[in-house]
Amino acid sequence: MTDRTARAPKAARRGEWALHLALTAAAALMVAPFAWQLITAFKTTGEASQSPPTFWPADPTFNAFTTFFDSVPFWSQFTVSAAALALRVVGQLAVSALAGYAFARLRFPGRNVLFGLFIAMLMVPSQLFLIGQFELVRDLKLLDTIPALAIPGMFSAFGVFLMRQAFMSIPAAYEEAARLDGAGPLRTFRSVMLPMVKPTLGALAVLTSLYSWNDLLWPLIVSPRGDHRPLTVGLAGLQGQYGTDYPTLMAGALVASLPLIVIFLVLQRQFFNGIASSGLKG
Amino acid sequence: MRHHKTWSATAAAAATALVLAGCSGGDDGDVTLTYATWSDDQKPAMEAIAEAFEAEHEGVDIEVQVLPWPEYWSTLQVGAAGRTAPDAFWMLADQYPAYAEGGQLLDIRDAASDVDLSAYPQSVLDLYDSGDALYGLPKDYDTNGIWFNKALFDDAGIAYPDDTWTWDDARTAARALTDPGAGVWGIAAPIDRQGGYYNSIYQAGGQVIGDDGKAALDTPEAVAGIEFWSQMQTDGSSPTLQQLSDTESVQMFMDGKVAMYFSGSFWAQRLYSDEAFRANVGVAPLPMGEQRASMISGILNAGYAGTEHPEELAEFLIFASGEEAAKIQGESGAVLPAYQGTQQTWLDAMPEFDLQVFVDAVDYSVPLPIEGNAAEWTGLDSEYLAPAWNGEQTAAEAAAAYDAAIDEVLAK
Amino acid sequence: MTAKTARPPARRRRAGGLGPSPWWGYAMIAPAFIGLAALYLWPFAKTFTKSFMDVPAFGPGEWTGLDNYTELLGDDKFWQAFGNSAIYTAILLLGVPVATVLAALIHQVGRGRTVYRVLYFLPVVTLPVAVSMVWRFIYNGDFGLLNWALSLFGIPGQYWVADATYTIYAIGAVGIWMSLGVNLIILGAGLQSIPPELYEASSLDGAGRVRQFFKITLPMLSPSVFLVTVLSVISALQMFDLVFVMLRSVDNTALADSKTIVYLFYEKAFVEFDQGYGAAIAIVLLLVIMLATAFQFRLQRRWVFYD
Repeated sequence: MTDRTARAPKAARRGEWALHLALTAAAALMVAPFAWQLITAFKTTGEASQSPPTFWPADPTFNAFTTFFDSVPFWSQFTVSAAALALRVVGQLAVSALAGYAFARLRFPGRNVLFGLFIAMLMVPSQLFLIGQFELVRDLKLLDTIPALAIPGMFSAFGVFLMRQAFMSIPAAYEEAARLDGAGPLRTFRSVMLPMVKPTLGALAVLTSLYSWNDLLWPLIVSPRGDHRPLTVGLAGLQGQYGTDYPTLMAGALVASLPLIVIFLVLQRQFFNGIASSGLKG
Repeated sequence: MRHHKTWSATAAAAATALVLAGCSGGDDGDVTLTYATWSDDQKPAMEAIAEAFEAEHEGVDIEVQVLPWPEYWSTLQVGAAGRTAPDAFWMLADQYPAYAEGGQLLDIRDAASDVDLSAYPQSVLDLYDSGDALYGLPKDYDTNGIWFNKALFDDAGIAYPDDTWTWDDARTAARALTDPGAGVWGIAAPIDRQGGYYNSIYQAGGQVIGDDGKAALDTPEAVAGIEFWSQMQTDGSSPTLQQLSDTESVQMFMDGKVAMYFSGSFWAQRLYSDEAFRANVGVAPLPMGEQRASMISGILNAGYAGTEHPEELAEFLIFASGEEAAKIQGESGAVLPAYQGTQQTWLDAMPEFDLQVFVDAVDYSVPLPIEGNAAEWTGLDSEYLAPAWNGEQTAAEAAAAYDAAIDEVLAK
Repeated sequence: MTAKTARPPARRRRAGGLGPSPWWGYAMIAPAFIGLAALYLWPFAKTFTKSFMDVPAFGPGEWTGLDNYTELLGDDKFWQAFGNSAIYTAILLLGVPVATVLAALIHQVGRGRTVYRVLYFLPVVTLPVAVSMVWRFIYNGDFGLLNWALSLFGIPGQYWVADATYTIYAIGAVGIWMSLGVNLIILGAGLQSIPPELYEASSLDGAGRVRQFFKITLPMLSPSVFLVTVLSVISALQMFDLVFVMLRSVDNTALADSKTIVYLFYEKAFVEFDQGYGAAIAIVLLLVIMLATAFQFRLQRRWVFYD
């Protein structure tokens, strides 16, 4: 954490170079697919399937993007994706924070058994819940609504686990001070504890956004009338329609992923800090 | 702390606003029917059909929706099992039995009493035969032919395929057209049921499922039909199975890498829409074996038994498979409409292609075999037949193994 | 994870104090618990029951006892899928040491730490469908980037996602690529909690960086490594979407031999209308995951170091 380069300036600076070299090489491997995606999006279909591949597009074109926007109702699907994401994040944060606090800080009979039950659900493949969850959403008359897209994702064992870890890492003294001031559990939670886990809430918000934005099968199933379908559906449809038109696929993949990448880049500091202070360290 | 409160309040407000925005917009209590499809290519035609229907039926609104193909059947199945399937949807023959026997499809026998069923190809009706009940009407059909690349034939100095071609002609031409140096193959030979080996099995006089309801792939005729294709691979006249997995056959054909692609009429629109490539495309009937044969399949416009508006739905299904709708489809070029006498619209939409070949093929067409749990046993073919294509087994060995596997599924 | 929950210093102190009524606890977990019960436990119970039944696509099923399970154990397809999932899990586990070394390297960097983290995390924030499109393109046997890169070194190309010999490894590589970001975060958090004084003391003793890594970093980081390992195994055994989006194409003959357990479950339950059999597959998978997790918890005593 402390800057170790300051301690042994000369040798460390040389080591630092080697470090950067190794890390940059690894980063290049990680980013190469994205770079290739970006470059390909500006190629023609013919050029994209040439062997050996050309590096720069011989004749850069925006055609792939035009095809994408012509065949996918981008803005309406974007709105659905964004609305579902917002609702799911708000719901998930509220539910997980409350339960996480209770599991970390309150004492009640059966606490460990209940917590174990939550953790056990992490081990069950999610496809197994599909039909049951669908039937519930249907019985609640929520099919073809935005809440239907968001509801199952609000309740995640992982969120509860993460928040519990975060609350456990806060010294008890804060809470005791609040209680001595006469604050009830709800007020202690809201005005003392919750602000202290803000970074973790931020991290959970980013992770929940990820899952929400990436969902494909569930949105298809709960919107039988088809008017509430997110961007993933549009992108998946593109694959069927333009099976091997790689520039169009790459352009679509880029455009559909971009909103989330931007959110992440804006919030990355909060995100990493949040995870670091969440007590998610084993 | 204050800051946090405002943040969450803003987020909640934003979420509510978005949710409300997403929920708004409904109809005025009129009847709305959803119509699920899986083809973006056909969406314009389907919407035109919906509009034509709405124009005749005041107060009925048809919503056409396109589902991604890989998720189409799981979405439909969960929806039907949960009593919320789309009102109208496209159905395929191998999925049909499960839905029909499961009581999920709307019987339109009474509403369709005026409909002349002889307007549809009998072999397509046979695919969807449920005795006294009528669970929908054929929307389109597809038969098979040889799509070939005229430029590659010209370069190799080989005469174009025509209706005199036999298996031997096809084999010889495929070999002669292959030029590894130029990266050109004579034919694309994937393990393809509908466009490939089913056709040759029947051309050889064999059957996929015998009259006794059991697999018939171990007969000499069926083996000959399978060998016709596996030999194309072992001869080196086709890109390998791996190559065809990476880049699907139609794309290989459009890239000018394979000279012939035996497949369905449904590619016409895609091949036609590539203006640079269009002039190079030719069509011919499938080659003769012992006899002529082409698989026929077609999409059924089916309705959901649990619909809230059975009367309107039945009317729509009849309309969507009727003459006017067939013409709209044909003119769009998307598919070959099933309704008799409307095929000319499709032929006229792409005059440069000799598409009559596909219409003529109806006369010698064979319905796709869909015995038992067809979705299960048809899914096994690439696993059992690939060794023959790869040259690891003879066609007879692979056919016998697949034959046994099919029987095992059918016996369940 | 366990050690921390087992003895949080705060709790021990609180135990003596007068806590709020237990009802507060129940009230606060109520929303989460109702959701869990309705959306997870209940569907799970239903699936569990179905695994003892023959359930047609539509309509009620009938009891068949253990038939699904006995059929499953004799089903080559199941064992093949099981083997594929095991290989995939093993490959993802190879990603754990990679992540550990990378995390330690990033932690050593004075400047630019954030840049690396962001770059390594990018695959996590990308749509799985998008990821699969890019990798299919890169893996293409005829004009893919990978084969071209290999050809520079004189290595012959392969049909990575079309030849069943390679598919599971090709997918495993993508799996590592996709999960590295998350693993790095968890390990990074663990590294931050190692007291710097430990390094200072050992530096004075003349220990080099490599020695420090093995003597200090690894033992102190072992709880995080353990957590990453447990999560990797769980998610690897549940892998479905990469097969679904990368191998499902019209003519892909490699798919038949490349299915994972969850893919097989999906296919049985949602394509072949055999929900009972699908349910049995899912239950067996759950047992496997639980066993694997329990096994790791037993094993952790030998190598995980809690302060």
